[in-house]
Amino acid sequence: MSEPFFSEDFLQRLERLALAARHAMPGQTQGERRSTKRGQSVEFADFRPYVMGDDFRRIDWNAYARLERFFIKLFVEEEDLTVHFIIDASRSMDWGEPNKLRYAARVAGALGYVALTGLDRVTVTAIGGGNGQPVFPAQRGKRQALALFAFLQALKAPQNGTPGDPAAQLRAYAAAQSRPGLLVVLSDLMHDGWVEGLRALAARRFEISVLHILAPEEIRPELNGDLKLIDAESSAEVEITADYEVLTRYCQSLADWQADLRQFCRSRGMAYLPIETTVPLEELLFTWLQRQGVLR
Amino acid sequence: MNFLAPGAFFLGLLLPVIVAFYLLKLRRVERSVSSVYLWRRVVRDVEANAPWQRLRFNLLMILQLLFLIALILAVARPFTWAEGAGGQAAIFILDSSASMSATDVTPSRLESARQRARQLVGDLPDSARVTIIEAGQEAQVRLSASLDRRQAYQALEAIRPGMGGSDMSVALELASAIAARQPGTEIFVLSDGRVELPQRLTLRGRLRYLPFGLSGENQAISLLTLEPGAAGSDLTAFAQVSNYGEEPARRRLSIFAGGRLINAFDLEIAPGGVEAALAEGLPPGTEAVEARLDGADALALDDRALAVLPQARPVRVTLVGGNNVFIKTALSLLPGVEFSQVEPSAPTGEEETAPTAEPPAEDALNAADLTIYDNQVPAALPPTGSLLFIAPPASTELFTTTGIVQGPLPRVLDLNDPILEHVTLAEINVLDAVEIPLPDWALPVIGGDLKDDKGQYVRSVPLLFRGEVDGRRVAVLAFDLHHSDLPLNVAFPLLWANLIDWLAPGARSPLPAQVAPGERVTLTPPNPALLSDAAVQATITRPDGSTAVVQPENGRLIFADTTQLGLYRIRFGSEEDELAFTVNLFAPQESNLLPADSLPGLEGPAGTGGRDSQLGQREWWRPLALLALGLLMGEWLVYQRAGLARLRDALAAGLRGITRRPAPAGAQRKGRK
Repeated sequence: MSEPFFSEDFLQRLERLALAARHAMPGQTQGERRSTKRGQSVEFADFRPYVMGDDFRRIDWNAYARLERFFIKLFVEEEDLTVHFIIDASRSMDWGEPNKLRYAARVAGALGYVALTGLDRVTVTAIGGGNGQPVFPAQRGKRQALALFAFLQALKAPQNGTPGDPAAQLRAYAAAQSRPGLLVVLSDLMHDGWVEGLRALAARRFEISVLHILAPEEIRPELNGDLKLIDAESSAEVEITADYEVLTRYCQSLADWQADLRQFCRSRGMAYLPIETTVPLEELLFTWLQRQGVLR
Repeated sequence: MNFLAPGAFFLGLLLPVIVAFYLLKLRRVERSVSSVYLWRRVVRDVEANAPWQRLRFNLLMILQLLFLIALILAVARPFTWAEGAGGQAAIFILDSSASMSATDVTPSRLESARQRARQLVGDLPDSARVTIIEAGQEAQVRLSASLDRRQAYQALEAIRPGMGGSDMSVALELASAIAARQPGTEIFVLSDGRVELPQRLTLRGRLRYLPFGLSGENQAISLLTLEPGAAGSDLTAFAQVSNYGEEPARRRLSIFAGGRLINAFDLEIAPGGVEAALAEGLPPGTEAVEARLDGADALALDDRALAVLPQARPVRVTLVGGNNVFIKTALSLLPGVEFSQVEPSAPTGEEETAPTAEPPAEDALNAADLTIYDNQVPAALPPTGSLLFIAPPASTELFTTTGIVQGPLPRVLDLNDPILEHVTLAEINVLDAVEIPLPDWALPVIGGDLKDDKGQYVRSVPLLFRGEVDGRRVAVLAFDLHHSDLPLNVAFPLLWANLIDWLAPGARSPLPAQVAPGERVTLTPPNPALLSDAAVQATITRPDGSTAVVQPENGRLIFADTTQLGLYRIRFGSEEDELAFTVNLFAPQESNLLPADSLPGLEGPAGTGGRDSQLGQREWWRPLALLALGLLMGEWLVYQRAGLARLRDALAAGLRGITRRPAPAGAQRKGRK
């Protein structure tokens, strides 16, 4: 907190970006995004016959003159969009150099700022951190950016306690949301529950982007000798002899896993992007996320 | 397979310890990771539950066990019984005589003897001391009681084939002396047996003779000379070819002069026989002839010979004064003597006067090898050459005359004097003689006893004495030949020839035309005066073109390095003339290649000679230790595989010059692994 989350310059560059939604979704209030609803914008959508009770101000008199029947002119409603961020705040995320949780928070902060600038609603939920899930409730407006940054900066992995099952937490989240919107998951996905939870979210017609964050130590482990590996989260132990074969097999296993996740996401219309924490934030936002269609 | 240190097998108890370490896996280092989620996936298909199965395919453990086994085996020092040396010390006598250059065994007898010696040295126990003696023309200890095998191999390599015989008896005596100091010594004689040994040779140590050579088929040029022909002007070469083999041989003998083929003879030589060839009418200017046997046989060294004309330069004798018929006759009868007579120069003579001193006379005096003053003494001695004074009428700087004695009785003072060789002085009378007290440089040869009237011995005066003054030889005959019956005696020509021989030594044959390899050659300059010059030196050009410089030692020039076969040229000081001699292998001992099955004279009741074989211990720990080292390195490489692979990747990346391209995704990275 001693240093600003983002620099002024960086924020100015972020304002030029916008979150891309592939589908129109219903919103809550007036906004800048096409909604599924018909409303009051200048963009024409359709005609429909007049029924009793319709506002006769919206009758298309030109059509009446030609056809002698009343038609109502419908316009596209432009509403806001809720952008959901789900950050994995489990102990396994609070690891690595650079730290995965810090990285995830900064990515969420940057994307959230983009959303707030675009008059969208932003909500952040940290899960995997035990029972008391910190939540940043849905807020609109650029003025909420500082509050968002403060929330993200305060995110911490729990020091003790049993880790919760992300599947249950994600299912509960999916059920609780009244309006689906854009949903960005930032996690290392190191739990089988994540896949199940994502499946539940996808069922609620969220437009999901999975940012799979891994530390360099996880991609290229520099281990040697006979080791007892201790899980930072569950304290589970695995004994390995880190020789060439085992390391080669680990890398192969990692690649297979990522391929499985990519396949899973593609089949459910999610965007999947594996990210190493050594990639600079600028490059991620201004190059890779745009290329993946998350930002535009 | 036997073991010198079987106790080492107790180290085998370490083997289960290694296995136990692997079973217990005591050395796990704890390491915190973000999640074992992925590692579980990896380990799931590797890990087996039973500890015994866990050992399967553990390459590191297998390598460590193999390493330990190899190490234990090496420490146990296994050995096999092998034919070879097993003693506590070994002496190798390598024959490097000319016959060992024979190629009836490939590559040559000496080379295979060297290989066998190397093998024997390698088979020796490590504690055995090695002595290497080269039996060349001179026996030479190349390595004395050394434990360093590398030195032994170097000493063996340093032995070069010689051109002469082999001094095997001295080599054996040396070996015996060394063997006396170290008990349990085995003496290996690696030779073809063409050696001469004394009849009774007592040796210490066990002697083993390892013969080399297969056959004795060899023909050799056993003689080649170049002589003036009967006609006088042209030259004749005489060559002799011997067949030392057991089969009749047909060889072509070619004779070259000045590089041109002069004559060729097809010779049929019976086994053990000799055929001669005579090439007559060689041009008079021929300096050297070369004879070659065409085709090849086992020994190439004796298929070529060179000969030069014996360099007989006439002795130049100048006779001063007198008209002594006896002297003139004697000189003219001596072969190789060229004599001239000059009149005595003006101031010398007292009785006979010859007032004019002509310049040619001076020249003759200066160039003479020997100047004879008959009833004369010179005012000044000639600068060079020997001097013979006959009845000097006056004193000179060399001696003093004190008067005339009447009727001295000649008596031999030294029977062994070279001047008196074959000379009998009985029945010789001298009328009178000049009395000359014996100078301190002189050696009396003939004395004259003086008697008084009653026949009583009074004293003795020297009648003939000789000596060397300032590097020149001087002899004085105290009586006039006309006043004696010596010239009429049979002793006179002999005495005269001996005198000339002694006074002008070597002038008649300054060099031997033929020299055996390794023989010393005394070089006599054509101009004897050169010898008195301390700075004179002889430059010798060897057959291979290299040169050697010989400095005089005690007034003599001696060249001993005649190990190469061929033509040697000698130049004295800055003189123009070149002399030459040849070194040829005219040695039946060496040309007769038939290998001997036993060393002559050594096959006694003890059975020391002959092809006797015995068993020695050949140790095997070295290859086992090497194997252990290799296994250790292999184990290390296996252990460091990951690091090495990383290093390889880094090097490959560095070589491609690609800096790390940042990519956001592990997916992009995974290709690298």
